[in-house]
Amino acid sequence: MSTVAASMPQRYVGTSVERSEDQRILTGSGTYVDDISLPAMVHATFVRSPFAHARITGIDTSEAEALPGVHAVVTGEALQAMLDPEAPSPGGFGTAPMKFTVLCTDKVRLVGDPVVMVIADSRYIAEDAAELVVVEYEPLQPVADAATALDPSSEPIFEDLGRNVSQDATVHVHGDVDAVFAKADRIVTTRIEQHRHQNVPMECRGCVADFDHATGHLTQHSANQGVHSARSTLAVQLGLEPDKVRILCKDIGGSFGLKNGASREEIAVAAGSRLLGRPVKWIEDRNENLAFSGHAREETLEVEAAVNDDGLILGLKVRMVCDTGAYPAMGSMLGGIVERMIPGPYKMEALQFEYVPVITNKAAYVAYRGPWAAETFTRERLVDQIADELGMDRVEIRMRNIDYQGVDPGTMITGSTLKSCTVRESLDTLVEKIDFAEFRARQVAAHAEGRYLGIGVASYIESAPGPYNGRPLGRERINAKLDDDGTVLVFTGQMPHGQSHETTYAQIAADAFGVDFDQVRIVVGDSDVVPPGNTGGSRGAPMAGGGTLHAARQLRGKVLDVAAHLLEASVDDLEIVDASVGVKGVPTSRRTLADIALAAKSGDFPDEVDADLTVEVKYEGGMGGWAGGTHCAIVEVDVETGRVHIDRYLVIEDCGQLINPALVDGQICGGVVQGIGAVLLERSAYDEEANFLAGTFMDYLLPSTTEVPHIEIVHLESVFLDDDVNFRGVGEGGMIVCPPTLISAIEDALSPFGVHITEQHVPPLRILEMIGAI
Amino acid sequence: MSTPISIRLTLNGTAREAAAEPRKTLADFLREDCGATGTHLGCEHGVCGACTVIVDGDPVRSCLMLAVQAQGTEITTIEGLADGDEMNPLQRAMKAAHGFQCGFCTPGFLMSITAMLDENPNPSETEIRETLSGNLCRCTGYESILKGVIGAITATNGSNA
Repeated sequence: MSTVAASMPQRYVGTSVERSEDQRILTGSGTYVDDISLPAMVHATFVRSPFAHARITGIDTSEAEALPGVHAVVTGEALQAMLDPEAPSPGGFGTAPMKFTVLCTDKVRLVGDPVVMVIADSRYIAEDAAELVVVEYEPLQPVADAATALDPSSEPIFEDLGRNVSQDATVHVHGDVDAVFAKADRIVTTRIEQHRHQNVPMECRGCVADFDHATGHLTQHSANQGVHSARSTLAVQLGLEPDKVRILCKDIGGSFGLKNGASREEIAVAAGSRLLGRPVKWIEDRNENLAFSGHAREETLEVEAAVNDDGLILGLKVRMVCDTGAYPAMGSMLGGIVERMIPGPYKMEALQFEYVPVITNKAAYVAYRGPWAAETFTRERLVDQIADELGMDRVEIRMRNIDYQGVDPGTMITGSTLKSCTVRESLDTLVEKIDFAEFRARQVAAHAEGRYLGIGVASYIESAPGPYNGRPLGRERINAKLDDDGTVLVFTGQMPHGQSHETTYAQIAADAFGVDFDQVRIVVGDSDVVPPGNTGGSRGAPMAGGGTLHAARQLRGKVLDVAAHLLEASVDDLEIVDASVGVKGVPTSRRTLADIALAAKSGDFPDEVDADLTVEVKYEGGMGGWAGGTHCAIVEVDVETGRVHIDRYLVIEDCGQLINPALVDGQICGGVVQGIGAVLLERSAYDEEANFLAGTFMDYLLPSTTEVPHIEIVHLESVFLDDDVNFRGVGEGGMIVCPPTLISAIEDALSPFGVHITEQHVPPLRILEMIGAI
Repeated sequence: MSTPISIRLTLNGTAREAAAEPRKTLADFLREDCGATGTHLGCEHGVCGACTVIVDGDPVRSCLMLAVQAQGTEITTIEGLADGDEMNPLQRAMKAAHGFQCGFCTPGFLMSITAMLDENPNPSETEIRETLSGNLCRCTGYESILKGVIGAITATNGSNA
């Protein structure tokens, strides 16, 4: 195959191309899963547990079954008989060592646990029938928090496990922890808590299952971040050959980590479709979504820091307890990521990290935009505390502990090179953008008037994809082909749900191939067609974007080879202009890409010409690089009402080369506002009996236009490591670093009260408590 | 269950008639019986605003209104904004501003903004923020939506908000 010049002119990458998605989204012609309607379709709903922890002693479905319009009332035991008895517990994303069933059979483990599925002509009738199902429960002692779960005498939520600690504590040591703690001038200790909150996509979960008995095929219309993981889960649970399961996804109304694979409900609905031989739709309601779909972030980290009096942080000892909820899936693997990331860009010499995941009668831990964010929150709160104890400036201590990495990269104590990390540069930009002296003067003047202003700063890095460290950064598969009409098709297992992949990958492919943006189409959401993959970890841009670049470039090479044969010219003399290939300077020689695609299909080529105009790329991430940066918030706290007003919010971040600046800014603003929500509004609250208290949008509060500030963004695009691909992830950063930034600012505002904040959720009432007003 | 009632209304300028149970919400009626799935349901308890439609000139949460209450009304939904494939000025401004991401809250925002601008073609930023505080978006942080509104006002009035 011909060698293609590495640097094509970039017409689209780096510009805010308007979104391909918008024509349908802005006109109401998108297709979300609830918009799917199939002939003879019926509707499912679930009878759910009102108890946090209880044994099921009896189920009477007779009245529900007798209701006109009801087609099936399926208990947990009945459902098990429809599934593959060899299938593992339906753990979803991550690992699930415990045994449990799709619908509860013996016991319920949280409020909202699904017990019975009802299928009827309409959702209205299904919900009527669900009311008629009688489930008898024998309540058990609930395990409402991590402290209870850690008590060996607590009632085991999984009897086969016999305890509520889901795996043996692991203690990992990096560097010489004892020596570092022995030589430090002082030990600073803290205990940091993150509170339970959750994804809350505006579209709840749902699916339409369509089992065809004639062919034995299941087609599941779904909304999830990767069609292939849903496919394999459904195949395994239903005992189907994987090639007989097809997952289709169209538009998805947000996810933020929630919609991964096939949920327990989606397995049940698929089995229901097979039972009835007709399509079954299930659309979760908001109460189910808030109570059961999954929660994130309930973690406590106890930290000891070895510190020198000049502000240098030498090492950390960390013990992390994670409340993974009732069905540990992702929660069981979280500790490893937090451990790897907790040093951040700081040049510490040693780390001891212990992870203790516990099981409670609450919703399962799921991925939520930067699931490992506890590392940033904990570290940045700790750094502020160390600065305060030493009487140092909070920005100065960061500058002292973080090196410029572009030239002479350091290495994180957990192993990764810090090559390309520009956090130190972001701190320089911070002090250029914010006049700290002016702010401090304003703060003092305001205080004299009884007003409380504060400024907060926090820094982070994200491994999206991380710099090359001797091993591949991933294996992202991208396929591409030249279609009969000359369209460049790019197939990806990424499943966009707001990130605008159809636009950004088309920008990349159009530049790499040398065609107009409109000549490229990105194909997603069909497990029969797209390669494996899923959207997550802020890897859509660096990994699939990089794969798209290489796939489009390889396809261009193949097309030029074919064209060279057809035009009897040398590849070096060819150019692609206006969707045609021709000899440079000879416009009459041009043949359209459609002509070339059709000619290639004819197969009349000598052996040395590869006329198969398809490519399959497995992209390993190239040289990669870090995403990261620093945020700064200026707030005013009203000490009468406890309300926090954000006067200014500044983002300084580095996500490498920007593909589409407007879309990058959208990702950042969205993430920051989720962080603001976490700090000021959002809490997935339970009472001491593990009853769920936040089941509506009147209880679980989301940020709206009146709470959010204008967000200023400065992009650093400093250190590129790769010859071709320097896109880095940007989806999660805002959410990761906003909470410690905002808490830092609130704490600064409340410094006259001597308030030290070690928690993440400070709604007005909590602020009034902290300052002793109530 | 009770007997379906025949409901006649005008949807995006076209007369429609369908039978619905008295308990059926206007949102479900529009989506299921009129095939107008552009209106989305985000909470079904009147907070998120995704289901906002315009009923006789007023923005209404179609999850909180029953279909039978819409008897004889004139309703505009997101499907009624564009002229064929030709977007209206608000839609074009939102596209230019990269206003939305996942698109699920979009119908509610567009209808709330349309109703707002019908009543006050030149609102201040504070007025825009207050009016739109009844619509929740989880993706954008609102920055791009506000930019889109201001773009639409500028395009229509040739003045700044």
